[in-house]
Amino acid sequence: MFGQLIMEGLAIGICYALFGIAVVIIYKTSEVVNFAQGEMAMLSTFVAFQILTIYQWPFWMAFIGTMIFAVLLGIFIEFAFLRPAKDPSLLGLIVITLGAEMLLMGVAGWKWGAEQKEFSLPFSFSNTHELFKGVIINDWTIAVFITAAFLMIFLFLFFRYTKLGVAMRATQQNQHAARIMGIRVERVFSFAWGFSSMIGAIAAMFFAARSTVDPAFMMEPFLRAFAAAVLGGLMSIPGVVIGGAILGLLENMFGYFWPEWKPIVAFLVIIVVLCIRPSGLFAKHYVKKV
Amino acid sequence: MKKQSLSVLSFIIAMSFFILTTSVNAAPGFDDKEIRIAAWGPQTGPAAPWGSVARGPAVLASLINEEGGIHGRKLKHFVRDDMYNPAQTKVVVKELVEKQGIFAFVCGTGSAGGLAVKDYLAENKVIWVGPATSIKEYVFPVNPYLFSIYPLYEDEGSILAKYAVENLNIKEIGVIYQNDPYGKNGLDGVRQRLDKLGIKAVAEIPVESTEKDLSSHILKLKNSGAKAVLMWVNPTSGVILLKTAATIGYKPQWIASNTLSDFALMHKISGGLWEGVITGAFMLSPDSTDARIVRYRNAIKKYAPEERPGVFFMAGMMFTEPLIDALKRAGKKLTTEAALKALNSTKNFQGIGPRVNWTAAQHQGTDSVQIWRCGPGGSTILVQDWTVNELAIWKKK
Repeated sequence: MFGQLIMEGLAIGICYALFGIAVVIIYKTSEVVNFAQGEMAMLSTFVAFQILTIYQWPFWMAFIGTMIFAVLLGIFIEFAFLRPAKDPSLLGLIVITLGAEMLLMGVAGWKWGAEQKEFSLPFSFSNTHELFKGVIINDWTIAVFITAAFLMIFLFLFFRYTKLGVAMRATQQNQHAARIMGIRVERVFSFAWGFSSMIGAIAAMFFAARSTVDPAFMMEPFLRAFAAAVLGGLMSIPGVVIGGAILGLLENMFGYFWPEWKPIVAFLVIIVVLCIRPSGLFAKHYVKKV
Repeated sequence: MKKQSLSVLSFIIAMSFFILTTSVNAAPGFDDKEIRIAAWGPQTGPAAPWGSVARGPAVLASLINEEGGIHGRKLKHFVRDDMYNPAQTKVVVKELVEKQGIFAFVCGTGSAGGLAVKDYLAENKVIWVGPATSIKEYVFPVNPYLFSIYPLYEDEGSILAKYAVENLNIKEIGVIYQNDPYGKNGLDGVRQRLDKLGIKAVAEIPVESTEKDLSSHILKLKNSGAKAVLMWVNPTSGVILLKTAATIGYKPQWIASNTLSDFALMHKISGGLWEGVITGAFMLSPDSTDARIVRYRNAIKKYAPEERPGVFFMAGMMFTEPLIDALKRAGKKLTTEAALKALNSTKNFQGIGPRVNWTAAQHQGTDSVQIWRCGPGGSTILVQDWTVNELAIWKKK
């Protein structure tokens, strides 16, 4: 029983973490918590649904098409909504992302309607394998683990060894200095939003395959992913993965033993972590910008 | 002194004007040409598939208007989106009552939203017929303005549990229920029946309507040994439950509330997993060859071709039928009191739903449900015709 609980908890936790990485990438560069993250991912998933179900393209072509759309959507949101704001306060930026969230939800409702849609991936949740006695793993979970591992390695190499990755870190640490050093900060922001939107879309497709697609389907996963990011540290990519795993395990344990409490575990985590360790469990230090 | 009196007078006139323009001044809801009816329901959000209920009455209104209306008055139907959010329900209902002037509400989806506005409607003497959800709190004690057709989830729970134990011969019953009046009423019905049969449910698990991960719930059901799982949840949760159960190879007999009886939709969004699921049902199947259903299907094609003639859209028509009947019986001199009198004397009214009876002392119109099974491709198989709940506590009071 515990083995399966841990397996299920890790699977959903890593899925939260995948989406949490999308939140962290934007926060790492611009220190904006993007409340439209869930709806950006939702819209990209609807595009995948359209290509797969309506146009009937093969999955991998639909996947590539969706990734291109997600990147362009991220760049567009940053360019059209965030960039025109003149000397925005942090609160102002958050309000802008909230507005974008409403807009994207409206667009999806208008184009695809409010009714749920079925979405499936080639990695079926019903293809199961017995890892140990009583511990079952399915193709969906394997795909989530592999994707998260691949992404972690890629991001580690990207932020450490590529010019763009270093530029993103520099922009986060000091925008003004980065600009003086010749970094085109606006391009860095565009890249971060596009890249984050793409990762968010991958995570959303995993969530959609386990439930259904509708204009509101990413609201709840966004809150969980945000909680995972706060728990691990909004600046730390390994932190968000560990945070997601801890959250998934915690939620599953509560869901099994005290189901009434399960829905509020994530929010309790946010409150407790913000009170005790505002920078999260795995961020190195907490810097207050003045 | 004169100047002071003038100031006082001006103040009184200004205040009177202010009060007159801002006070609640609900219009009577009808005139010589039209009767205004309205419905709220989630048109967006996770419960949106239930929102089509609110749009169904528009087609019935068009049918009635095509025949010349009711005593020369045309029906005008308003629809508002409350997003399945009780706070929003209050806003849209207040707007409809105070700005549009509504004679009667029909349907109204969501138990929490309904509870949030039922007293407001009664205070403003606005009739509400056929809430598109059913909980005890609507009709017990009797609310003089509220008339329910929908079988109580408690009665449905009792009938479905009886079917599971006596017809399917399953004694290991698990229940998963939405943690709100909808789910808890269903659970109460199951408990009443199982108590009567001397059985205890092996698991009773609450779930929040927005939860996307139900793996721990499924694991708990599996470990409890439940061979039949009765559920009172929303469509998305229903799909997540079945998909999650498939991930660990758990295959109980799923039995669901009538709220999940739109088989065409549920089969589609569950990727076919819904086939074999048993549900309660509060109306005739939308693919039935019954003459009334055929007439409604044709009307939908004509007046709302963009709509799918599924269970919930047609249910909107079903919930409105007894109001139409009462308005016809109320006569040409329409008043709220005349309509109430007609509604209170509804006896054995038969539309496309169960038989409805209302008296001044009893506003729960029925205790009957049908039982369906989802067949191949989302088709409907009738497994048990209208069945009453002989344990219905409210009938014994």
